[in-house]
Amino acid sequence: MEFKLEAHRIVSISLGKIYNSRVQRGGIKLHKNLLVSLVLRSARQVYLSDPCPGLYLAGTPTPQPGEPAAQPPAGWGEPPPPGARAAWSDPEPQPQPHGAAGPAGSHAGCPAPCSTPLKKPRRDGAEEDAEEEMETGNVANLITIFGSSFSGLLRKSPGGGREEEGGEESGPEAAEPGQICCDKPVLRDMNPWSTAIVAF
Amino acid sequence: MHQPPPASCSRSSCCVCARVGVRVSALAPAAAPCPAPSRSLGPRPPEPPSRGTSTLPLAPLGPWCSPTGSPAPLSCETGCGEGSWILVCRLLVPTQVSLLSMEEDIDTRKINNSFLRDHSYATEADIISTVEFNHTGELLATGDKGGRVVIFQREQESKNQVHRRGEYNVYSTFQSHEPEFDYLKSLEIEEKINKIRWLPQQNAAYFLLSTNDKTVKLWKVSERDKRPEGYNLKDEEGRLRDPATITTLRVPVLRPMDLMVEATPRRVFANAHTYHINSISVNSDYETYMSADDLRINLWNFEITNQSFNIVDIKPANMEELTEVITAAEFHPHHCNTFVYSSSKGTIRLCDMRASALCDRHTKFFEEPEDPSNRSFFSEIISSISDVKFSHSGRYIMTRDYLTVKVWDLNMENRPIETYQVHDYLRSKLCSLYENDCIFDKFECVWNGSDSVIMTGSYNNFFRMFDRNTKRDVTLEASRENSKPRAILKPRKVCVGGKRRKDEISVDSLDFSKKILHTAWHPSENIIAVAATNNLYIFQDKVN
Repeated sequence: MEFKLEAHRIVSISLGKIYNSRVQRGGIKLHKNLLVSLVLRSARQVYLSDPCPGLYLAGTPTPQPGEPAAQPPAGWGEPPPPGARAAWSDPEPQPQPHGAAGPAGSHAGCPAPCSTPLKKPRRDGAEEDAEEEMETGNVANLITIFGSSFSGLLRKSPGGGREEEGGEESGPEAAEPGQICCDKPVLRDMNPWSTAIVAF
Repeated sequence: MHQPPPASCSRSSCCVCARVGVRVSALAPAAAPCPAPSRSLGPRPPEPPSRGTSTLPLAPLGPWCSPTGSPAPLSCETGCGEGSWILVCRLLVPTQVSLLSMEEDIDTRKINNSFLRDHSYATEADIISTVEFNHTGELLATGDKGGRVVIFQREQESKNQVHRRGEYNVYSTFQSHEPEFDYLKSLEIEEKINKIRWLPQQNAAYFLLSTNDKTVKLWKVSERDKRPEGYNLKDEEGRLRDPATITTLRVPVLRPMDLMVEATPRRVFANAHTYHINSISVNSDYETYMSADDLRINLWNFEITNQSFNIVDIKPANMEELTEVITAAEFHPHHCNTFVYSSSKGTIRLCDMRASALCDRHTKFFEEPEDPSNRSFFSEIISSISDVKFSHSGRYIMTRDYLTVKVWDLNMENRPIETYQVHDYLRSKLCSLYENDCIFDKFECVWNGSDSVIMTGSYNNFFRMFDRNTKRDVTLEASRENSKPRAILKPRKVCVGGKRRKDEISVDSLDFSKKILHTAWHPSENIIAVAATNNLYIFQDKVN
C-alpha cells in the first residue's frame, strides 16, 4: 500500500521534472531526462503490481509497516513520508471536471498549447494540487507537449501509441536534441487510475 | 601580505584583466615535528600521534622521514598520510562587478579583501565547474559557470620564505566561452566550462583545451616580458607619426616590461556535437583528442578544426529505444589506440581504435552484476557512472557512481577489484535527494600520483580519501570556519544513527547545497585542489 502511494508521489515528481526541463537554461539534458523516465518506469511498475488500487483515502487505516512481501517485490524500500499519506487522507478538493473528461478526450489529439493550465499548478506550490492536476486531465496534454516516447523502456503496446503520433514523428525526430522523452504509454496507462482517484 | 597580481594582458580579443585572488596569507610554519621514524620502511608499525596534530586515531602513517634523517621519499609514494593535511591557501576570484568596484573605491576593495564577506558577492557565475592541474603541477586551471578560466601558478621556492612554497597565485584569467543561442533549435547554449584538459608542454607556452556543452577551444597561454621600443613610424603610444617629422632612423630594441600573461584562442572546434559534451581527453600521441557527448564520441586532430572522426555512436535508429547514454570518456595514458567510456547504466566499455573505424563494438565490457537486495526506485540513477579515470599506470580504471567509487582491473571485466563507500548513509535518503535533484549530481574522482590513494567529493563540503594499500579512509572538510592558513584538517565523521558523538555530524544536518564535485591531485606531490562552490581550497600534506 505504502509503496503505491510512494510510487504515485514519485511519478508526479518525475513528471514535474520532465516538464521543468523544458524551460531550463542550456536546453534539455538527455541524460537527466533519461534517468527520470527510468524512475517513472519503476514507479509505474510498482503502481501496476499493487493488487489493491482503490483503497487510498481517509477510510483506510494507516498501512501496516510489516507489509507482506507479496506486494511489490521485496526491496522497493522507502515507506512514504507521512506527508504523502496525509495528503491523500484529505478530502479531494473541488472536483476536476476536465480530469474525467481528459482521459476520454486525450486520444483525440489535444491541442498543443496547454502549457498554461499546467503552469498554474506548479506555481501553486501545493504538491497535492500539482499532483492531481498533473495526474488527471493534463496528463493527456503532457503527451502532446512532449511528443515522443521511450517505448523501448516500457515494452507496452507500442502499437497503441503510433496512430496519435502520426505527423508528430518527424517533428520529434528532427528536433530531438531539443525535445526529449516522454513515456507516452506510461502516461496513457495511468489515466484510468487517476480517474479512479478523482472520482473518489 | 599579498603578492601584487601579475600584470594582465589587455588583448581585446581574448581575455580580461587578471583578477587578484584573495589569498589567505601564510602565517606560522607547520607546527608538529616529524613523527618518530619507523624501524623499517616496509610494513608500517603504528606510531604515537605527534604533538599538535589532529585527533585522528592511531593510523599507520607512512614514514615522512627515513630512519637516517635524510629527506623524505617522494611524497606521493608514501600514501595517504591521512590526518596530516594542511590548508595551503583558499582562493576566491571576485565577480566582475566587485572587480570594477575594486578599481574605483578603496573601501570596497577593503571589503573584497576580506573573504568573510565574499558570500554576498559570489554569484552563480562564479561556481567552479572544473579543476585540473597541468602535467607538472605548476599550473592549476579552473573553469566556472560563467565561462571563465582562471589559471593559478605555484609560487616558486625562495630561500627567504620557505613555507610560501606550495601556494598558488592567479596567473591568468580569460573568458573562454560566451553564452550562445542556437536559433535553429531555439536553444540557449550555456557558457559553463564543463572540462579543462592541459596539453603536455612542448615549448615555452602552455596549451589547454576547454569546453562547454557544444564547443571545444584550444587556448595558448604565454608570457611576455619584453616589448619592442623605438619604432620609426609609430610613437610610443602607437600613433602614426607624420613622416615629414622623421629625420633619423633607428633600430627598435626589446626592453623588459612587467610580466604579462596572454591567453589566445588558437583553435575552435565547433558544430560537431548534437548533444551536450561531457568529457574531453587528450591522447598520448599529443596529436589527437576526443570529445564525448551523450551519444557520440568524436576524435579530433589539433590542427584540423573543420572535421572530426566519429568513433563511437550509440544513438539508436529510433530515439524511443534509447536506454543508455555516455557519461564520461578517457584515453589510455600510454596506449594511444585505447580509450574507455562509461554509461548511465553503470557499465564501462574499453575500445581499441585499431579494430575498426567506428568503435561501436567494444573490446572489453566492464559491468558488475546488480545486488538485488539494494533494489529501489532509484537503482538506475545511483548506478549511473559520473566519472571514469585511468590510473597513471594505465592498469586500472576508477569509476564514480552516486554512492561508491570502484576500482577495476583492466584484465577483469566481471567485477571491480575494489569498492569504496563514499556516503552510504544516503542510501535511505534517495527519495529526498531525488526531489531536490541532488541525486543527479555528478561527482568526479581522482588518483594521486602513485595510484595509491583515490579521492572524491561528497556533501557538506566533505571530501573523502581512500588509501588502497592500507584500506584506510578519511573524511575531510573544506570549509571557511577552519580555514586558517596552515591549519591542520581534522578528520570528520558522519554519524548514522543512534548516539551522536561529539564532533560528529548527523546525516540530517548535512548541507546538500554544499557539494564538492570537482577535485584535483597534483601529479607528483601530495597537493590537492578542492572546489567548493566558488571557493578553491588547496591542501598539502604536512611535510617538513
